[in-house]
Amino acid sequence: MKTLLRIIALCSLLSVASCSNEDAAPYSNGYYLLLDTSGTYTQELEQAKQVIHYLLAMLEPGDAFAVARIDSASFSEKDIVAKMVLDSRPSRAIMQKKDFAAVVDNFIGGVQSSPYTDISGGMLQGVEYLNEARVGNKTILIYSDLQEDLPKDYVREVEWLLDGFTVKALNVTKLRRDNQNPQVYLDRVADWQSKVIQGGGHWHLINDLEKPDALL
Amino acid sequence: MPELLNNSFNSWSSFLLIFSCAMIVLYLARHSAHGAILGLSNALHSMLRVCSKSLSLAGKRLQERNREVLLNVGREHTEREIEKEFYEVSKFVQKDLGDFPEMQREIQSQIQNIQEAYEGAKSVASESPGWLEAIESVSKIKDSNAQVNHKVLEQIKTTAEKQHKENLRALREDSAQRHKMLRSMQPFWRKLSHTIEQGGRRFKDIIERSEKIDTHMQRYEEIQAGTDGALRYLKLSAMTQFLISTLVIAIAAGGAFFNFHLIALPMSEMVGSVQRVGGVKVSDLAALVIICLEMCAGIFLLESLRITKLFPLIGAMDDRKRRTVMILSAVVLLTLACTESALAFMRDQIANEISALRASLAGSLDSGIEQESSLNHWIPLAANMILGFILPLALTMIAIPLEYLLQSGRTVLGSLIELVANTIAMTLRMSGNLVRHAGKILVNIYDLLIAGPIWLEAVIQNRLASSRENSSESDWLENTLSGGTASVNKSSRGKKS
Repeated sequence: MKTLLRIIALCSLLSVASCSNEDAAPYSNGYYLLLDTSGTYTQELEQAKQVIHYLLAMLEPGDAFAVARIDSASFSEKDIVAKMVLDSRPSRAIMQKKDFAAVVDNFIGGVQSSPYTDISGGMLQGVEYLNEARVGNKTILIYSDLQEDLPKDYVREVEWLLDGFTVKALNVTKLRRDNQNPQVYLDRVADWQSKVIQGGGHWHLINDLEKPDALL
Repeated sequence: MPELLNNSFNSWSSFLLIFSCAMIVLYLARHSAHGAILGLSNALHSMLRVCSKSLSLAGKRLQERNREVLLNVGREHTEREIEKEFYEVSKFVQKDLGDFPEMQREIQSQIQNIQEAYEGAKSVASESPGWLEAIESVSKIKDSNAQVNHKVLEQIKTTAEKQHKENLRALREDSAQRHKMLRSMQPFWRKLSHTIEQGGRRFKDIIERSEKIDTHMQRYEEIQAGTDGALRYLKLSAMTQFLISTLVIAIAAGGAFFNFHLIALPMSEMVGSVQRVGGVKVSDLAALVIICLEMCAGIFLLESLRITKLFPLIGAMDDRKRRTVMILSAVVLLTLACTESALAFMRDQIANEISALRASLAGSLDSGIEQESSLNHWIPLAANMILGFILPLALTMIAIPLEYLLQSGRTVLGSLIELVANTIAMTLRMSGNLVRHAGKILVNIYDLLIAGPIWLEAVIQNRLASSRENSSESDWLENTLSGGTASVNKSSRGKKS
């Protein structure tokens, strides 16, 4: 009888433990926002602040969020401006959001433009970060004109592994050359789209930031 | 054009050829096809009929069972009603009729007082005055002494008037005395009237209760006899109870949903909102568990108060244990209600922080608005806290409609299943008949397709039959003729012999 009771107790303990240890990751969201700091695009960063604030307002406990800059060599942890995984307690999460917003505001206020634009490096860094964060829905937001300009001897011919990722290009502004020949712009966007889709990810282009629902 | 005509001719000829061949094949397979169609339709008909019969039987068994359940529930309910009425009557007898002897003594003493007062108020007839006889004797005296008589009469008159005045005064005094005594009777009359009215009212109550008991007893007898009227009444009552209790439960579910949202957010502050069990946040589960615990405590409280009978064991406990369960349930309920109130307070704080964060992120933070919001902050906070305290207590009442729902739901569900079973049985029976008739119709259609060969067969058979008839007639004639010659031969042989 005692043995039976022990077995029942053990089974119930195991079942409770298995329930409580269920991985929360499939339900959480991860966002990695790349901010283009090259050339004249730095003028657009004020609008990026609103995007970040909107995302911060909508994030829930357990979600991961990082903001990184796109500069001459973006495949580096040093380019991550701010990152956080929101605490499970709402009050703590609110504090984290406030701190995060302050850091990002500081960064945008004093940003200096970089001579080159390494979007691919930033994306690779984003993939790495989100994979490590073990979140359910992985989204990379690229706030850039998508015009990549790598320094000499920098190679970004990598195999993209974007299975389970959603890449959203935000505020893809038209350059002067694009106005002269719109096909250049279309080709640039199509090139990035094919890269993402071939890597197994989903691609979205959002130029109208007045509809912030599309960001999530 | 000629090619087209040639093609159409070819197609028609090929169609006719195929049709003829098919007709011949169908004609040759006629008996087998008829057998197959009729066999299949009959088999399907039998199968559907068996299914229909078994469903009908199941429906009947269910009907019987429903009837028993309905009568049992009705019997229990009526027993409870009668028990309650008898308890009320017993309480009335103990409380109100217990002092009946006292009331009777009081009435008797009041009547005695009245009687004494009445006796005292009786008027005594005054004696006839003595001077009448004196007048009579004076009147008999002769006229010679008229002066003397006149004097005597004068004196008598004076005396009489004096006596009359005295008598009148005595009578007035006596009357005043009697009136005084009668006035003293008035409170006794009033008291007596009040006591009798009170008694009458009490008796009216007991008569009303006895009438109710009579009605319940009559219904109980009808239920015991299992009459159709009682069944109809119980079914209607069960349906009404089911609908009303469903409505109340739905309203309570709405309350529980609101309550859940009131405590889900602060629960995430306590247990975290990241971990999940079966896809549901642990904080949500914790909030649900708290609401369920409140409901359970409420059910136990009502059970221990003997308002509901979901757990007969609690109702059957001795009073001491039952009281313990009652106190425990009430304490748990109050604790949970206070906890919810505190959680509602916490929710308000978190919601304020979130809205402040959103406002600051949106860049619309204004000190004036902040001040105004802080002034109006107490109203929603107080409302949240009051609701957090009251909703758990209100949810305890769910036990009553729940009991009714379970009781009436059994009957209503049984009736629904019975209806469905009977409908399916009828549909199956109709389908079986339809299949059988469809088989017959198919056989006829089959025959219609091969009408030509059948007609030919009939013609050939007729001819064969007529030729057979002809040959049989000639045979008969031959036989008769040969029979005639044979008889003639026989008779001639007989004559010879």
